[in-house]
Amino acid sequence: MSTLKTAGIKARQGVTTLSNGLTLLVESMPDVRSAALTILTPMGAASDPTDGLGSANVLADWITRGAGERDNRELTDYLDSLGAQRATNAETVFMRFNASMLADKLPQVLPVYGDILLRPMLPDGGFGPSRDLAMQQLDAIEDEPAQKLNLLIKSRHFAQPYGRPVVGKKEHLTALTPAGLRKDFQNRSTARGSILAVAGAVEFAAVRDLVEQHFGSWVSKEPVQMPAEAAAGGVWHEQQASNQVQIGLAFDAIPESDPDSIVLQLAMNILSGGMGARLFSEIREKQGLCYSVSAGYMSLKHLGAVLGYAGTVPERAQKTLDSFLHELQRFSAGAQQDELDRAQVGMKARVIMNGESSAARAGAIAHDFYHYGRPRTLDELRARIESVDLKRLNTFLEAHRAGNMTVVTIGPAPLAVPVDKIG
Amino acid sequence: MVTFKHTQLKNGMDIVAEINPDAQSVAIGFMVKTGSRDEAGDVSGVSHFLEHMMFKGTSRRSSADVNREFDAMGARNNAFTSNEVTCYWAHVLPEFLPAALDLLADMMRPALHSDDFNMEKKVILEEIALYLDRPGHVLYEAIMKDHFRRHPMAYSILGTKESITALTRDQMQTYFDARYGPGNMVLAVAGKMDFDELLRLSEEKCGQWKHLDVRRQYPVAEIKGGVRHIADPKLKRHYVALMCPGPSAQHDGRYAAQVLADAVGDHEGSRFYWALVEPGLADEADFSFYPHDQVGSFFAYASCDPARSGQVADILRSELQKVILHGLTDQEISRSKNKIATAAVLQGELPLGRMRNICSRWIYNKEYKTLEEDLQLLESVDAAAIKKVLREYPFNPITTTTLGPAAS
Repeated sequence: MSTLKTAGIKARQGVTTLSNGLTLLVESMPDVRSAALTILTPMGAASDPTDGLGSANVLADWITRGAGERDNRELTDYLDSLGAQRATNAETVFMRFNASMLADKLPQVLPVYGDILLRPMLPDGGFGPSRDLAMQQLDAIEDEPAQKLNLLIKSRHFAQPYGRPVVGKKEHLTALTPAGLRKDFQNRSTARGSILAVAGAVEFAAVRDLVEQHFGSWVSKEPVQMPAEAAAGGVWHEQQASNQVQIGLAFDAIPESDPDSIVLQLAMNILSGGMGARLFSEIREKQGLCYSVSAGYMSLKHLGAVLGYAGTVPERAQKTLDSFLHELQRFSAGAQQDELDRAQVGMKARVIMNGESSAARAGAIAHDFYHYGRPRTLDELRARIESVDLKRLNTFLEAHRAGNMTVVTIGPAPLAVPVDKIG
Repeated sequence: MVTFKHTQLKNGMDIVAEINPDAQSVAIGFMVKTGSRDEAGDVSGVSHFLEHMMFKGTSRRSSADVNREFDAMGARNNAFTSNEVTCYWAHVLPEFLPAALDLLADMMRPALHSDDFNMEKKVILEEIALYLDRPGHVLYEAIMKDHFRRHPMAYSILGTKESITALTRDQMQTYFDARYGPGNMVLAVAGKMDFDELLRLSEEKCGQWKHLDVRRQYPVAEIKGGVRHIADPKLKRHYVALMCPGPSAQHDGRYAAQVLADAVGDHEGSRFYWALVEPGLADEADFSFYPHDQVGSFFAYASCDPARSGQVADILRSELQKVILHGLTDQEISRSKNKIATAAVLQGELPLGRMRNICSRWIYNKEYKTLEEDLQLLESVDAAAIKKVLREYPFNPITTTTLGPAAS
């Protein structure tokens, strides 16, 4: 147990690993009366069977349709009567369960999640609707070009299985059966590699006792891993009669577990943090080329990437892409001290502001454990942000130029992509 | 211990503050009682366009200064425009509150330079194009028009490509001069602060703004209902929206209406959920309560396969009919109250959530309620209160607007 202090925030963290391999992380927050839980279990799209793409997404809906002694309606009504706000989603690596509640309801809510993960009913009657909803999601993406771009750029840039769209493929979904998906669930369900994080008005010992009681019998085996395949990369255009052209860029970056990832995060703030950041200011404010323009950093355990996005009408699309590439090139020449100062202040402020939200803290300590093997304290986050000086930043930018880019566009006509600027 | 303070400057500007010494941050916002419903004449979209222009500099600052200063405070900041209000806000660490107030107050007296106006016009046209690619938004704008007809709530927030292209800087200036009087805005602050210092700075920064007599028109909404389909062969999905009258933001029944809307159409565990989403007939089916200034609506929205459009619309209507005939069960009311109460407590733990809450309440009702008082009002909702709302607002007349690939 450690005590941390950042600008007056006093929180205590506790960590333990159950004998079955489940990691429990608890952060006690004195100034709230809520509690939030995040469970990450390695049952995401990246471990879908190769002929069952989209399985995790269907499971994420099916798994909450009755568990333990409660059928679907009883389970939903029970959690609603406790006022628990919740969401379950399949992601690339994990299936994520989030729930927020008044802290005194945690002893009733947590056992329900034990039932969902260890004893889901996966009823025959619920399978059809769960799959039907997943199919509808696939169609809905066709109606939202910005969402479609997000899936396309990841699936083209990342090596499989990490580039897989969570929504999967229609023909695979059609071929799924209740028996097959139940078997897939049994195959992938494991406490080892799973993370359970609780933050809020809670005490470590009480949460640990609850978790041991309700998750202690979870089976323990190696998480399923799928074989890796090469990424497609390159330039890709998808024809669509949309009002705006969607532009996506991606290039490789260090993963978050790399000691230099803080430098990259500060760099991303300079490029695309607040309204004064480079992309917004150069492309939107000075040229009026688009409404949305941004770049973000995403990382899994062993890979990272920078993803860029802009949406603009066809007449301005070429100029937007050219300006975006120009800004990325110019960035390797370095940033100014005042830019770094603003990025550092911004990141530190976020750390403190997120420290007020139990849901944000539960998500953050689970994230930390996955990337860093332990929850990080707010003080540690602040010190890491402050440790970067301009020399280190500019050395990093020079050494990590944007290159070997994947470019995806969706719109009425393809754009001219200058090969020399994306290579 | 959380305390509330209200004061009014001589020029009529209200300042409301909820002081929480235990908070780690503070949220500050200027909310102006103006939006698309106040756009008389030929200026559709001016409220929202003006919101963008407020970031474009003042007599003391350039547009780049404004953005850079927010970043230098590490602020989370933004603005939004609705049919009825325009709000400019920042969430900062307590030591930056004076700087945030100085910047936001300066922004409230914008320069509105012609070249900035022309540049930003392009960005607004981009935003319009962006939303045209979002079927949910296209349908919402359409049903507001169909439902409210000649009432100003029918006016589009973004405006159209044509209205924005035709809009001039001088028209915007005229709109600003008529609507941004200090008596027509509220300065709201929630979180950790020194209130006396806040008051002193507010007087210094805003005290010299001239009082203006600003009024909003409240014509009677003549709601007749009706049915319209918008065909878009590009779309893969069918989208359906229903709208009917509901209590206003000033109506006593608004807490009951909120519970009613949750029980009928929250995204999980509601009547719509069990009738449409759980069986997989629609991937989304919601029912919401929109309390506006002196007028209100209930709004239903679903998306489904085009082949199921008739079935889904029938189920939406028949579920509403069942509620009219039989009301809600006590268990449903209790569950919905618990869900709404939890959401309010969670929102109340964040200064930004409290600022938005006290700000809106002051704009609409000139009143303050602590979180506890709010929760008590919610707790007092029972079956009789729900029935009373349903008697007064029996989901009728209904406006139905649909959007999808089918021709009719």
